[in-house]
Formats: sequence, structure tokens, C-alpha cells
Amino acid sequence: MSKIIASAAIRGAHKIAKRAEESLNNAIQQKGEAQEVGFPDTAYFMPIALALLGVKVKTLGDFVPVLEKAKSMLPPEPAEHVWLPYLGNTLDAGIATILFEEIIEAVKYITGPNPVDGIWLGATDDVILRMQGIKLVDGSMPGFAACVGAMPTNAEAVKLANELRERNILVFMFGETNGKSMAEQLAEEGVQMGWDSYLVPYGKDITAASYALGFAARSAMTFGGIAPGGLKEAHDILLYNKNRVFAFVLALGEVDDEKYATAAGAINYGFPVIADTDIPQILPTGICSYEHVVSNVTHDKMVETAIEVRGVKIKITKINVPVPYGPAFEGERIRKEQMFVEFGGQKSTAFEYLRMRDLDDVENGKIELIGPDIDKMPEGSAQPLGIVIDVAGRKMQQDFEPVLERQVHHMINGAEGAWHMGQRDMNWLRISKSAKDKGFNVKHFGEILLAKLIDDFPAIVDKVQVTLYTDEKAMADLMEEARQAFIHRDERVAGLTDESVDTFYSCTLCQSFAPNHVCIISPQRLGLCGAYNWLDAKAAFEINPAGANQPITKGDTIDERLGQWTGVNEVVVQKSNQSVQNISAYSIMIDPETSCGCFECIVAILPVANGVMIVNREHSGMTPTGMKFSTLAGSVGGGAQTPGFLGVGRQYITSEKFISAEGGFKRIVWMPKELKDSLESQLKKRGESIGIPDFFDKIADETVGTTEDEVLAFMQKVGHPALEMESILEFSV
Amino acid sequence: MALTGIDIFKLLPKTNCQECGVPTCLAFAMKLAAGQAELSSCPHLSDDAKAALGEASAPPIRLVTMGSGDDAFKAGGELVMFRHDKTFFNPCGYALLIDDTSGASEIDGKLKQVNESHFVRVEQDLKADMVAVKCSSGKPETFVEIIEKVKAATSLPLILMSDNPEVIHAGMAVNGEAPLIYGANKDNYEKMADLAKTHKTALAVISDNGIDGLNDLVPKIEALGVKDLVLDPGYRNPKETLQSLVYMRRGALVKKIKAFGYPTIAFPVEETSDEMMETLLAGLYTCKYGSIIVVGNLKPQYALPLYVLRQNIYTDPQRPMQVKQGIYPIGTPNENSPVLVTTNFSLTYFIVTGEVEGSRVPAWMLIQDVEGLSVMTAWAAGKFVPEKIAPFIKGSGIEEKVKHRKLVIPGYLSQMSGELDDELEGWKVEVGPREAADLPAFLKAWSA
Amino acid sequence: MEVKETYNGTIREVTLGVGDKAVVVGGETALSFYTFEGVMPRKPVIAFDVYDEEPADWPAPVVEPYKDVLGDPVKWALKCQNEYGADMICLQLVSTNPTGTNRGAEEAAQTVKAVADAIDIPMIVYGTANVEKDTEVLAKAAEAAQGKNVLMGPIEEDNYKTIAAAALGFQQAGATHSPIDVNMAKQLNILATQLGLNADRIIIDPTTGALGYGLEYVYSVMERLRLAALTQNDSMTQMPIINTIGKEVWKAKEVKVSTEEEPAWGDAETRGIIWEAMTAIALLMAGSDILVMRHPKAVELTRDFMALMA
Repeated sequence: MSKIIASAAIRGAHKIAKRAEESLNNAIQQKGEAQEVGFPDTAYFMPIALALLGVKVKTLGDFVPVLEKAKSMLPPEPAEHVWLPYLGNTLDAGIATILFEEIIEAVKYITGPNPVDGIWLGATDDVILRMQGIKLVDGSMPGFAACVGAMPTNAEAVKLANELRERNILVFMFGETNGKSMAEQLAEEGVQMGWDSYLVPYGKDITAASYALGFAARSAMTFGGIAPGGLKEAHDILLYNKNRVFAFVLALGEVDDEKYATAAGAINYGFPVIADTDIPQILPTGICSYEHVVSNVTHDKMVETAIEVRGVKIKITKINVPVPYGPAFEGERIRKEQMFVEFGGQKSTAFEYLRMRDLDDVENGKIELIGPDIDKMPEGSAQPLGIVIDVAGRKMQQDFEPVLERQVHHMINGAEGAWHMGQRDMNWLRISKSAKDKGFNVKHFGEILLAKLIDDFPAIVDKVQVTLYTDEKAMADLMEEARQAFIHRDERVAGLTDESVDTFYSCTLCQSFAPNHVCIISPQRLGLCGAYNWLDAKAAFEINPAGANQPITKGDTIDERLGQWTGVNEVVVQKSNQSVQNISAYSIMIDPETSCGCFECIVAILPVANGVMIVNREHSGMTPTGMKFSTLAGSVGGGAQTPGFLGVGRQYITSEKFISAEGGFKRIVWMPKELKDSLESQLKKRGESIGIPDFFDKIADETVGTTEDEVLAFMQKVGHPALEMESILEFSV
Repeated sequence: MALTGIDIFKLLPKTNCQECGVPTCLAFAMKLAAGQAELSSCPHLSDDAKAALGEASAPPIRLVTMGSGDDAFKAGGELVMFRHDKTFFNPCGYALLIDDTSGASEIDGKLKQVNESHFVRVEQDLKADMVAVKCSSGKPETFVEIIEKVKAATSLPLILMSDNPEVIHAGMAVNGEAPLIYGANKDNYEKMADLAKTHKTALAVISDNGIDGLNDLVPKIEALGVKDLVLDPGYRNPKETLQSLVYMRRGALVKKIKAFGYPTIAFPVEETSDEMMETLLAGLYTCKYGSIIVVGNLKPQYALPLYVLRQNIYTDPQRPMQVKQGIYPIGTPNENSPVLVTTNFSLTYFIVTGEVEGSRVPAWMLIQDVEGLSVMTAWAAGKFVPEKIAPFIKGSGIEEKVKHRKLVIPGYLSQMSGELDDELEGWKVEVGPREAADLPAFLKAWSA
Repeated sequence: MEVKETYNGTIREVTLGVGDKAVVVGGETALSFYTFEGVMPRKPVIAFDVYDEEPADWPAPVVEPYKDVLGDPVKWALKCQNEYGADMICLQLVSTNPTGTNRGAEEAAQTVKAVADAIDIPMIVYGTANVEKDTEVLAKAAEAAQGKNVLMGPIEEDNYKTIAAAALGFQQAGATHSPIDVNMAKQLNILATQLGLNADRIIIDPTTGALGYGLEYVYSVMERLRLAALTQNDSMTQMPIINTIGKEVWKAKEVKVSTEEEPAWGDAETRGIIWEAMTAIALLMAGSDILVMRHPKAVELTRDFMALMA
């Protein structure tokens, strides 16, 4: 903490202490200690005294111990040469200050001047508190801005107020700069103020800050369910504000000692201070989530900076496109004759690329088009399109890039008249004639992506900027960067091994119909439905920490070959409702994983062939087990352990961990032709990596036969390695 | 712990001879494990294997069959405490009680109830299962007379009720088929066991002090060689009856107490004199572990809800009830009425048609067979997708019934509207609401 | 012979309403009515359906008992309280449905206040499960019922923030509603508690299906919730459960069809009463703590049943 700030705040606290003491003594002299005191229509007495000290102030006399307590918290005024005051002292001074300020304001209700005067609203009653509080809690009002002082000009004041209001941020105004307050500036410009218009002029005196901080304290008591009492409760109330009330202070104009002292009070709530003047900054985090004091911010950046520093999330309620948007349009097709223009689909160069950026490098909400827009494109043509989405977030990780990028498909398809297919540099988009007639243009892709990314992924996305390229030359470099990134991502996924991480994820998405089934998702074994790999699960957990994907700490290794760990088993017991005790990640015979029923493929042992066959959901014919897919599915699904059978996702087949306990990939003796062909390149690659380059050709399919005998004969003919392996039926550890 | 398919397979001959009617030994083993095949189907099983598998596959609650032919009633054979753990396998049976001292018209009325409380719902027959004839007169000849009267009116299996072996003996002489003797108590069990053995019938065991009495009495009767038992803990108040039924089911399944490994019988008719309450108590035992439930009335207004409850409780949670594929007119639709398509999952069908009915807009419902899956599940499983829906619509005959060509699909399937538009030539696909409750508003605004 | 089950969890106790007539629900330490191996400290309560406008589609047997008060929610509620001895009133704000009368939140709130002020038994206030509209309506309703400690619902995943916040702000309890799914019910409870709504201010609404119309699904979901709560001590399933039975039962075909239309189904009124009471009994056994019902005779039967089981 800066010594300058600390010294100023402590000095300010002493000044306000003096005022409070004088006004209280004066009031007691006039009206006596028994004089009732209170703000109108509230059950919270003096909310700051109640919240922080647990004191229910009902009379002027009740204020005396509050005053004394606050005074006792005041650190001595620092001498010029002593390098003493630091965070703790300053924060104490801040707490004391807001207690004093509350006394001063309360006394005004008795001895005058009446805080409710002209534009000034004074204390907030409970009904308003609750109604506003609901908006704070449900996120429709992201937070409040406490504006202290005034802007240099009336026009700038109006602009700032509007910037805040547009984001549904409540504006509290108090204090003055050179005799002017922001509220007065707005009044002079004829701006309507009041709770309904999100503009709340509390009072011209800096002590009116106590209404805003009292409001925050009452929010915590009302919505945090914290009954005030002692120190712990006071701490909880402040913590609630830090974690739940996204408020910040905008210090406008010169910051005097009293303002420093009041700001120190706000910092106790976790509310950071953004100043337009060159005051010392307090950047490291501690009390506030991020920075404490950020200074010298230009007026046009103030709101943006405040939002970022406080971590405020703004919801975008309406997507700014000229066509209807919603899930009902997701399946809409745009045929050639309905199409105005298309991008990609091997008819033109196109790509989409979402990349993580530093917070400073992303200008939230910026959408830029480089190249011609739709009105310059000939009807029915194919045009180049590069979509570059820059995402920044304090909780964003590079691993989430592909997870978010895959959402582009859903997001764009929600707009009527816009159509999307594919991904990466194999995407394909169309805009219909009717959408074009309604005014839909290329930039609107950006509007959609911006709004949906911020709205759907608030946990990881703080800022989004979209750049759209329709100029092929201009996008060449980025396309190359994107391709490198795609390669890098694939390598990253390929390089992720179960050993390289200590966290797996559980997936209980299917428990609605398979109550005891839990999928264990590891880097080398994706969910059996094929839809969730380890990175997806990881991102899903960040996005929704109470959701179906929960992290599992692997714990101690029980059996490396089988793939059993203490942590995994504990989770399995718990999430399977105690119906499954142990799970092997890599074995089909001993404690195999259970299946919900969503598996892409079923692996089943063929005892005579001494191997396994794999059948995919789409294959309706007979298999060498003597069971069709549907029959096998009946035996395997439902969350029960069925040794000899396993439901898997396609991508697991070529994983190094594919039933590695029983010898792995080499055990595969039969697959339907369609499945085999669709995985051909991966199977061949995997065959090479285990030193059997022609393994692909040793796998039988239905053209070879659908009985175990036929498969066995084929295996003998081609010299299948499974024949030489230990008996799969008698497999044991 | 039940044997897995692989455990069973290891004991089989592994010859894939197919004589059991299944292509491979592995497939047969899987069927055995699922309780879908009989061990005796395999002609090549070694004696050791038979012994090992027989013991392991003996059900914890014996399946007892009463009566024969189409009207035979099977009780017991349950494997779980809660239906979500797997399913309740053999639906409980309702027996209507006829007292041999009742007047002729009362008895006729009851027999009418037995025959008339017969409904078809979701392609299942809902009906009574047994008739209990109780000898209150104490006179064998009266008992016999009433039995004859009952047998003339219904072919359902009978429960013969008397604690007097002489009376039962007389009753058995005219009964002819394998019914249930009710029953053996601690005083008469030897004679009753004799009768049961002689006539190859099932025997109810009646306790005079709940499960303790049964635990005592059942082994004695087993020792006399009677295999098919039905257990009555003997209480006549729902609180203690519930307790006993829970303890017996748990005792048999979880605690492996052999004496409780039989179906149960409960008597709502003797627990209340109120018809309505009797029906509710029958509902209680339907939920909670009654195998045979004896009631005094089966008037249709009572029988229908009771039977539907049984249908619900005994539905396999993993094999949903299904309705038939086809066109279902709701109200009296005409050539301009809306056409809606959904799946044949019974709940989907009921909820959607219910809302369409409620809208009072006549409509055509097209119900597609997707093996009883809900809309989203069927879509995910590839059973309710454009390439399957299109041929169904084309082949359904709806094109002869309506002039327009607009098809309303469930709102949750909006993503496939375009594809279905392509597949379904000549039709325009419209996305309906996501929730059935919004259908009335949608249909009221709909025009051809 | 040890056949008793041991449980290690307890259902939370939730207080609804204020004053002498406040009710407490929950507190079970075993499956419902398994008093032989745990405690069921109190019987489940029955709330009567009261609509805020004249219902359009109620069949005759449930119109008859209320025919003098339909369309007047205050009189209706008082009749349930004074004549039928309702434990609670469930005020259903059906008039706010955007596809129906589409009454505004303010107007609905006035009805809430009027009913709340007229009765002295606890109240449940239910919206129409329209996610957007309920957000508005229930926030206002929460304000209107200040100080009455009502149960508000349905709180859904898509609007829990606002409605749970309103419950918090005006000190009401909330019914979290999820679509017949154990994990989704749990997840919503986690979300609501993270928002600040205390676990002992939450009732689970698992979605009710009537007899013949999905009863088996809700029955099993409730059994699973209870087993998780009692045998695994899973905190986020340990809330009492509410079932809105009346609304579901009285739209079933088997209940709506008159005696004349389908003589083979027997007397329509008795059939309806049994349909409702049977649904209630099955759900009581599965763990229901609050039953919302309609026909006074069905309520009486359900009460008699509970008395027999106590």
C-alpha cells in the first residue's frame, strides 16, 4: 500500500471523526440521548453499525458506543517521516470512516439539513433495497458504480452515466469536486434520475457514501442470510460483498483526504477504486479480487476498466441482428436457390479460429470487418471468409479454445437465414437472400458470436473481440496462424496421457436413465458416447462447477496395468450410489467400466478367437458373438459391470490405453467394414506404432464372416497376433 | 452376488453347438445371466456345471404359479427392493373375496365385477387375477356350492380360504386346478401341507405374530416337502402389514433369509370396511411388496385406478411402455386439420395427446414406432431422424386424409427441420413448441 | 433376525407460514411411513389448489365443491381453510400465463396479498412455469406476501437466480423444480444454495406425474432422492418434497370422462377421487411431504390413510 494513500486516508478519517463527534454531541445536547434515531422504513437500524459491530442503534445514545468503537479503530495520524501506516491501519481507518459517516447522516435526519432535498434521495428503504437486490443477485443488474465527485463537464457526466446505465449498472452519486457533484451535472442537463432510471443521487456530502455502503451491507444481510452479531459476521458481510456485489468506486476529480478515507472503507468491501486523476495505484490483489486502486484512467476508458478490474459480468439480453434468433432456426437449411452468398465449403477459402488473448489485447465488443461487406458481393457467389475470435478471461485457458470454437456452429445456426457447417478451415457458411434483404451482413456473424460467447460462458469468457476477413490477402497470415494452432492443438491432445495429469473427470450426464452409471474421462479415454473428451469435461467443469462433470483426483495407484486408482474408485462408489466398488480404466475383464447405453461402439470378447470384436451402433447385422448390437446393448447398458463387454467411444479404439490390461489393440479381431473403413488411417497408424504395419488387414469384418469359427479361420490364415497371446478368458492380474 | 455372463460362460461347453437355440455359448450365457433363458435349454451341461449354476441361479424369491393356461397367475420372482434398481418383474395380482355366507345376489354382483373390471390400456390387458372363496359358513357343502358357482362364472384361479383342512379337502375335490390353499397356521400346517402336496397346489402360510411366526413356521412346512408357498404375516392393520412386507422383501433379497423367499399375500378387505380406503390400501401393497392382494370390491371406478397403478409400478424403467404406430385422430379432424408427429413412448403419447385434446382443436397425431423412446432419446439413438420419419409419414396414409402438406414436429427437434424438409418431399415442416403444455396455444393459432 | 435398515441422513425441517398455523415439513430419518426403523416426526401436509381466476377446464367433480367461490380466490381460499380444514393453500397464478389471460405481475401480486391477508394458514404461491413470466410475477408476489413466509415456485434452472433472490430478499421459501431427474434436482439445489438460499428454505418439486401419466417416473425419482438423502447423507437431496397432484390428476382422460360417456369405467366422481387419492398415496410412500390436491373427498381419504399409517 502506498504511503501517500495510507497517510491521506488516515488523515481523512480523523477529520470525519471530528465531524461525527461534533454533530452527535450537538444533537444529544439539543434532543437528549433518548431521542429516537433511524432511517425511514427499514428493519436494519443503522445498517453499517449493525453489520460491522452488531449494534442496533435506536436512539442517539446508542450511537455513543459506536462512535467510541470507531474512534478506537483510528490509527494515529502518521507523521511525515515515519514509514509506518500500511494496509491494515488504512483499512481500519476506512471502516471507522464509514461508521462516522453513517452517524453524520443519521443525525442530519434529526437536526437537519434533511438529507432528502431536491434531487437528493437520502437513505434507501427496505422495499427498494430488496427489489434492487434481486436484480443484483440474479445478475440482471451486474453491479453498482459509486461515483464520487464530478466530471469536468456536464456532457462528460451524461456520457458516463449513460455508459453505465447501458450496461444496467446502478449509478450511486455522492460527494463533490470543486463544489459540484455529478448528480447536479446530470440535473442541469435535464436527465431524469431515480431508482427506475438507474441513477441514484444520494447526497452532495461525501458522508452520503454511507448510504451506498449501507445498501451493500443490507444486501449481504438480506440476500446472504447473514445475521449480524460479532466480528465473524462482519467479516462474512464484507466477504459477501466482495464475492457477490460487483460494485466499484469511480473517483472523479481531485481526491481529498476524506475521499481517500471513504475509499478505504469501500476497499474493505472488496470494491476497487478507479480514479481519473494521477493518484498512486495499488495493484496487487489482496482484499479486492484484482487490483485495489487503478488511477489516471481516461474518462472514455473508465467504465471498461472498472468492469474489468471488478470482474463484472454484463449480460447481453438481445442479440443485435436484423433476423430472428433462437433454437427454432437451428435446423434450417439454406438451399442453393435460397442462398445469397456462401463462404468456404471448398468453394472459397474460409476458416474460423478462436484464440485466447491477454485481457489487455482484447477490446471487448469490438467487431471489425476487413474487406467488402455483403452489399459488394455478387448474388450466388462464393466468397472468402476468415472469422477470428479473440477471447480473454481471467479464467480462460488455452485448452478451452477448441471447446469454445466448436460452439460457433450452434451459435451461427441460431439466426434465421444464416447457416453453418464444419469447423476450423473446413467450414462452410451461407447467408440467405431473405436474410440479406432484412439487412443481415457479414458483421452480424460477429454480433452473434460476441453475444453468445459472453452470455453462455460467463465463467471463462470476460472479453470478446471478433475480426471478420473477406479480403483473402488480408487474412492469409491469420489463416496460417490458425492452421499452426490447429496442428498444435491436435498435438496437445495426442500428447496428453493419463500419466501426465493427476485429475480425471467424472460424467454423470446419463444418470437420468442409467441411475448408477458414471463415466470416468481421462486424457486417453473419452466418454463412451464419444461426445466428451478430457478437455471438454475440464471446460464443462469450469463453465458449470455444479454440473455433471466433476474433477477426480486420481489418488494412489492401486494397479497400474488395470488402471485403478484410489481416488477414482472412491468417486465411482459415491457416484454409482454404492453399486460399483472398483473400476479399471484399461480392462475389459476385471472391473470394467459400466455403460449408460449411449456408447458409440461395444467391445465384446470372442473367447475362441482369444480376442475382442468391436461393433458400432450403426451396424445392424449379426456379429461373431452371436449377438447383434441391439442385444449386446441390452446386456451392457444400464450401469452394471459386465466383464467381457465394454461400451466405448470410437476414438478410444486407437488409444494406447484401449484395453491395454489385456494386451490392447492387438486383441482386435473383428469389426464391421464400415467402422473399419471410417477409422482406416487411425487404425493403420496405430498398427505401425505397435510394430505390425499390416495389422489393419488382419482385422476380420462381416465380409470374412459373422461366426467365431470363420473369424478364427481367417486369423489363422493371416497370422493374427491375438492367437499367440495369453487366454483372454482366464485373464487375471 | 449374481454370476456374470462370463462366469456362467466358463462353465458352459464352449462348443457353440446352437442346440439351445442361441448362436453362441457366450450369447446363451448372457441370456442366462439376464434371467432370459433356462439352464435346461443346454443339453450338454456337465453335472458339476449344473450344480454350480443351479445353485447360483436359484431366485431369492420363488416364482409361484397358481392356476394354469391363459389365466395362470405368477407371483414372486422379484430381485430388487426398488423398481429403479432393475424392475419389478411379476405384477401383483388382485383377488376378489367372495364369502360363502353372502346372499346369491351379492355373489352374482361380485362375479359380475370380476368379469367386467377388464380394461385395455397401452395395449395391456388390465384385469383381476384371482377369486378368493372364503368359507365362513364352516360347512363344506356350502363352500363347495359357492366354489361351483364361481367356477361357472370365471376361469380365474381360486384361493380357497379356510383354516379347517376338512373344508379345504372338500373344496379341492371340486376345484380341479392348481389354486392356492389359504392356509396353513401353526395348528393345522401338517394337514394343510398334506393337502397341498396331494393336489400339487400352492399353500399360504399364515402367521399369528408377523415375520417371527413365519420364520418359525415356513421351515417346518418346507421340511414336509411343500415347495410353493405364499406368506401372510397375519396382521390386519396397514401399519404392521407394511412393516412385515418390507422386512420380508428385504430379508429375502438383502439378508438372504430363506424363509422369506416366497410371494406374499395381503388383505385390504380385512383391514377396513370402507370401499375407498380398501382400494387405497390395495394401492399401498401394490407399491410395497404385496404379491396377492385380496379386496372386497372391484367395481370399475375402483378397479381402473388400481390396475393403472400396478401398470405404472411394474413398468420396466429401462423398457418404457409403448403405444402402437399409426394415425390417431384427436377429436374429429378433417382434411384441413393440423398434423403432428411424435414418438410412441407412452408417456409422450399421453401427454401430447392430452394437450391436443385439451386444446379442442381437432388434429391428426402420427405416432411413430421408435421402440418406446422419448423424442430426444429416439433422436439421439437415430430412430427419430429425417430418414426414418419421412418414410413413416409417406407410408402412414395421412396424405389421403389431409389436403395440406404441413407437418408439425416437436420443438426440441428444430435442428432437423431442414433435413426433414428435404427428405419429406411435398411437405413443409413446421417446428412446434418445445413443451406439450404450449400446444393448445400453438394449435389455436395454426392454420392449414 | 436383523432386517432393519439403518439410515444415516435426515430430511431437513422447513417451516412455512407464521404464527400458530405455521407448518413444519420434513424431519424424516427413514423412508416415509417406515416408522419401524426410523422417525417420521409429523404427517405430510395437504395444500388445496386455489386458482386466481375461474378455471376453464376443471371437470365437474372438482367444480362442484367450489362452485360458489370459483373466480374469487379470497373466498375460495377461505372455504378451503374453514370448511375443508386445509393445512395450506396453494395459490396458482394461472391468470398470468402469457398464452392465457396474461395478467400482469402487479395485478397477480394484489391477489397474492389479498389471499395472504385473508387466511391464517400458510400459503404456497405458484406461477405457471413460464420461465420469463414467472420471474416477473414471483418477484412481485414475494414482495406482496412479505412477512408471510410463503413457499414460492416453481424455481427453474433458467430463472432460479431471480426467483431464489426474491425468496431471499423477502424471506420466503422456494420450491426448486426440475424435470424428473435426480441429478438435475440436486444441481438446482446446489445452484440455489450457492446463490444464498439456505438449504432449509428449499422444497424439491420433482415434477409430478399423475397415475397413468408418468407416475412411475416421479415415484422412482423420489425414491432415489430419498435413498440418497437417507442412506448416503447427500445434503443436496435432503429437502422435503412437494407434489402438485391436483393439477396433473384432473386433466387425465380417465378422470375427465363422464359416467355417461364411458359406463364401463364406473361412476366418474368416485373414479376421479380415487385417481387423485391413489396418486397421493403412491407419492406419499415415495417421500412426499406436501401434497397439493383438489377434491375434498380425496383429501379426506388421504388424511384417513395417513392416520391409519401413523
